[in-house]
Amino acid sequence: MAHDPVRLELVKNAIGSIVDEMVLTVIRIAYSSIMRDTMDLSSAFCDRQGRMIAQGLSVALHLGSIPDAMDWVLKKYRDTLAPGDIVVLNDPYQGGMHLPDIFMFKPVFVGERLLGYAVVVAHHNDMGGRVPGSSAADSTEIFQEGLRIPVLKLYEGGKVNQTLMDLVAINVRIPDVVLGDIQAQVAACGIAERGMNELAARFGVERLEQHFDELLDYSEREARRTVRSIPPGTYRFVDHLDDDGVDMDSPVKIAVAVHVEGDELTVDLEGTSPQVRGAINSTLSFAKSAVYFAVRSVMDSDAPNNAGFFRPIHVKAPLGCLVNPRPPAAVAARGISGFRLIDAMFGALAQAIPERVRAAGEGGTTSYSFGCYDAEGRFSLFREAIMGAWGGGCRREGIDGIANGAANISNAPIEMVENQAPIRVERYELVPDSGGAGQWRGGMSVLRQLRFLGERATLQLRSDRRRHSPYGLMGGRDGAVSNNLLDDGASWTQLPTKFSRPLGKGQAVQHTTAAAGGYGDPLRRDPDLVLADVIDGKVTPEGAERDYGVVVRRAPWRVDIEATTKVRKK
Amino acid sequence: MTALRVGVDIGGTFTDFVFQRPDGLLERRKRPSTPADYSQAIVEGVAEYCAQAKFAPAQVVEVVHATTVATNAILERKGARTGLITTEGFRDVLELRRIRIPLAYDLSWQKPAPLVRRALRLAVRERLDSRGNMLQGLDPEGLDRAIDELAGAKIEAVAVCFLHAYRNPQHERIAGERLRRRLPGVQVSLSCDVLPEMLEFERTSTTVVNAYVAPLIARYLDRLRGALAARGVKAPILVMQSNGGLISASSAAERPVTIIESGPAAGVVAALRVARECGYPNVITFDMGGTTTKASIIERGEILRGTEYEVGASVSVSSRLMRGNGYLLRIPVIDISEVGAGGGSIAALDAGGSLRVGPHSAGAVPGPACYAQGNERPTVTDANLLLGYISSTSLAGGALQIDEALARTAVRGHVAEPAKLSLLDAAHGIHMVVNSNMVRAIKSVSVERGRDPAEFVMMAFGGAGPIHAAGVARTLGIRQVLIPRAPGVFSALGLLHAEVEHHAARTVLTTTGAGVMAPVEAALEEMRSDLLGRLREEGFDPARAEIARFADLRYRGQSSELTVPMPDGPLGESALRALEERFEQEFERTYAHRGDTKAFELVTVRLVMRVSRAVQHGSEWSAEAGAPPARRSAYFGPEHGQLETEVLPRGALGSTPRRGPLLVQEYDTTIVVPPDCEARVDAHGNVVIAIGA
Repeated sequence: MAHDPVRLELVKNAIGSIVDEMVLTVIRIAYSSIMRDTMDLSSAFCDRQGRMIAQGLSVALHLGSIPDAMDWVLKKYRDTLAPGDIVVLNDPYQGGMHLPDIFMFKPVFVGERLLGYAVVVAHHNDMGGRVPGSSAADSTEIFQEGLRIPVLKLYEGGKVNQTLMDLVAINVRIPDVVLGDIQAQVAACGIAERGMNELAARFGVERLEQHFDELLDYSEREARRTVRSIPPGTYRFVDHLDDDGVDMDSPVKIAVAVHVEGDELTVDLEGTSPQVRGAINSTLSFAKSAVYFAVRSVMDSDAPNNAGFFRPIHVKAPLGCLVNPRPPAAVAARGISGFRLIDAMFGALAQAIPERVRAAGEGGTTSYSFGCYDAEGRFSLFREAIMGAWGGGCRREGIDGIANGAANISNAPIEMVENQAPIRVERYELVPDSGGAGQWRGGMSVLRQLRFLGERATLQLRSDRRRHSPYGLMGGRDGAVSNNLLDDGASWTQLPTKFSRPLGKGQAVQHTTAAAGGYGDPLRRDPDLVLADVIDGKVTPEGAERDYGVVVRRAPWRVDIEATTKVRKK
Repeated sequence: MTALRVGVDIGGTFTDFVFQRPDGLLERRKRPSTPADYSQAIVEGVAEYCAQAKFAPAQVVEVVHATTVATNAILERKGARTGLITTEGFRDVLELRRIRIPLAYDLSWQKPAPLVRRALRLAVRERLDSRGNMLQGLDPEGLDRAIDELAGAKIEAVAVCFLHAYRNPQHERIAGERLRRRLPGVQVSLSCDVLPEMLEFERTSTTVVNAYVAPLIARYLDRLRGALAARGVKAPILVMQSNGGLISASSAAERPVTIIESGPAAGVVAALRVARECGYPNVITFDMGGTTTKASIIERGEILRGTEYEVGASVSVSSRLMRGNGYLLRIPVIDISEVGAGGGSIAALDAGGSLRVGPHSAGAVPGPACYAQGNERPTVTDANLLLGYISSTSLAGGALQIDEALARTAVRGHVAEPAKLSLLDAAHGIHMVVNSNMVRAIKSVSVERGRDPAEFVMMAFGGAGPIHAAGVARTLGIRQVLIPRAPGVFSALGLLHAEVEHHAARTVLTTTGAGVMAPVEAALEEMRSDLLGRLREEGFDPARAEIARFADLRYRGQSSELTVPMPDGPLGESALRALEERFEQEFERTYAHRGDTKAFELVTVRLVMRVSRAVQHGSEWSAEAGAPPARRSAYFGPEHGQLETEVLPRGALGSTPRRGPLLVQEYDTTIVVPPDCEARVDAHGNVVIAIGA
């Protein structure tokens, strides 16, 4: 069949629409706020061979996870699934990422013929285990983290596997919510089944399968075009996590070597720390997601995320390292390793294409939760995320107060927090002089201070970038580091980067995110931009002189050009 | 009767008028907008019509207006120099926003700069708790220092937003009084007046937008009133709000935040009227213009409403997944979703070999290639011209010079040759691809709201809506398309159909189980007397007011609410149980299940007051000379090929269904009836297209 640019666009839009509708369906009917509000889920359609054809509106760090999970399903059930079957898994050592993420696959049949698989992966609020939420950083083996589900049928011929459902229900803290959310995933698979059948009727099954090939080729062409636009060579970068949440004094190393040759790009993670005791180990599929995210971010195209896009990109990591661990390594808090791997990827790419990346951002979402009992003895969990900053780039200012691109979620409204939890938010502000200095300044630190008003709670917090600041680029300075402080009523003391601890009435915690790195020599920053930052209190007059060599006078605000020239010459 | 009524809608390119004559008949006019001073086109348009139709300007009894002036001020960052006073510790709430970004993988994305820069956001010591109890009194000296600083910065407007002021307005009121006394002439917007609802960022953002556009809107409306009066038009001016109701010009000047993007709302009001009159309870409106397409849902004869949207997001879908590109407003709105696809959308072959249409647009200026104003890239309008759907003499009422050769060159050079397609297949490809973009947008917003578009009738209007409606409807599974009369000036028509409407809301945050309803009753009563007072000030008869009460409920512990009508009468046990049941029913309808708790929170109560004015709404149009029937060849894709197609005015299409292909030529658009569809005119003058299988 001859290449038809019109048909290609029409099919691309139609399949894109179906996978988007899957996500929207989950968001609409799910029970938990992590699905409905935080939207921590992804959808996809894979063809008969298991090749991912399109991915829906989704979490960037799920990009590479579906193909590996699909492989595990095919390994067990290839050619044996029937209409009405649904397969699930969550085990990180059988295609999953961490236990809260349940992957669901529904074979889509057109009549008797298998067309492909609807896939939904969604983060559940609880999967059992030793810590509520099943996401703690300080577990040391997978068995502590919750219920493991290998590749199993949840439905067979439209009939539910009650044994499995009962097993899930008894193992989780909030069975109604988890089972409700599973049903939302089932509904989304139904949407895809119907939509793909309509498409098959419109185009014909064989024609449609040819279009699948074309879509893969299209994304492959776009990915290869992107890789070709990167000068060939090997680009290495090393970045660190402060600790693994258990051994608090040992930094964890992430080393990448990006080899670009023609239109093929290989990322070698040799040299990365061996797997660790804490729960920040990450499956290889998650590491691939981080790599795909970085490449996707320098791609000048909105081609579908599919198996064609992955073709020219290869990821290698030695078995037993942080990003390809052996069981029974704990993996629940692997998110932070993904964030750092992305930082390392951009650090490497910056050597090849500095004008297309930014200096490091805040280094990942800081997440924390208060677990406490109310007067009636009911357990409740309050959790939120604090973000964030983007680094400066080539002719691009950094951004103050923004989500990490890889974890696009919202902050919690202060007035809602205070209405729903025994918490008072005392400060929520940008921190002056924190953004990495540069010709293009990095985004600033965000400070949030909360006081606990209840009787007692367990506070769990995961942060990083305390000892390893977000890097600047092309002469830009690093962003400020993060910090955690505790006010016990008498004085402020420092807390570790990751911790769980009891909290008493009237105690307060203050978290300051790391700030983003700057880009380019700060002495080349336009003095008027420095002046604007000083007027806005984002940079102090002292900081302007110290970091940018710009002397600012007040009443009225102005740059002292003569003094500035003198300082900058030094 | 001597009364002449005027509906006027300002768009980016044209200012549309619908006049209701003393005999009740409607007439339409269009003239180019005057961006330097938008009121100029209005004044001249009214004067010219009066002169032509031989009416005295004094016969005009009301001018009903929709305007983009406020929206443009935000898009172009030309609003007032604005300050913000807020609670100590929370200076950056406005800038931190909700953190989320609209698109993944885009490192070049820039966050919209806050409408008040940090230097002009001043924090004052004060603090209330979530019940409204004072934890820290307002520091009078700190307040004065802040006011000194704002005075020094020569601000024209100031917003005040303190934490939990929706619970207790006292500190904001003190600050407001002090500001008004010390800074006379400066517009003061208090969050407890603009939006007494919970959520600090949403309330701050809305209050700031109000302050930012208020001085400009006040000046604009003054100028308009003065200029109309100078031409002898002394009638009151009413302005359309985003919620589809009208308010007086003086109210609009005080709370301009409610009139932002009023034009699209007016279109939906017109659609609602047609839907009700003609017996179509479930309608998807499809309003396609030059740069954007807007869709909304009418269900069981009611408009679907929302509580917030973003203004100034260049391409916006009203999906919460895509938030972050504009400035958030939390106000009652008609739930309209918008996609950046229109007649001006530019087509190109991308590097991977797929035909893309948009997101770049040639807009109104320079416009499509065939406008010969400098754009050489092919647009949707150029494709429609080559396909024969529109003729080179009929575009924009014949007011524009069209050069078909330029359209041909553009489509050939940028699409047909690189894609190795014939000229007609290339043009048809552009038409189909833009349809699929719009289908994707309409589908996702309806799925997000739990609705299946196939269960609706499509009502199409706007300059390009009737050209694309049949194709878009077919892909959505919609069987019937309705093209109302005067689709090109439909929003202006909606203005004449709208009623005066005031909304008020108050966050009360309480549980329905505990049964302490006195504060809720008090809030309702207070809002009622406020609204009646406002009505009297505007000169309307409170006796004609109808009041509806609504409540936002949620299951305890959840973060989002649903709005349901409140039962009448006092909030006793049975009323509360009825309210809970209404909420649960609505929850089930939207989310397909009920919650696992029977604990409910009553978050916000709302009042909507509608006042029907003592006017007759005309629906008959004065006779216009239709173009004589003709034929031209039109291309309907490889399946049907190029067909000699009859071109006829609406008046010549009878009530007996006629098989396509047909082109129904309108004043400023064309209705395309593809070969496998049938069209007829119904008893109300609508063109009804039955979509073939």
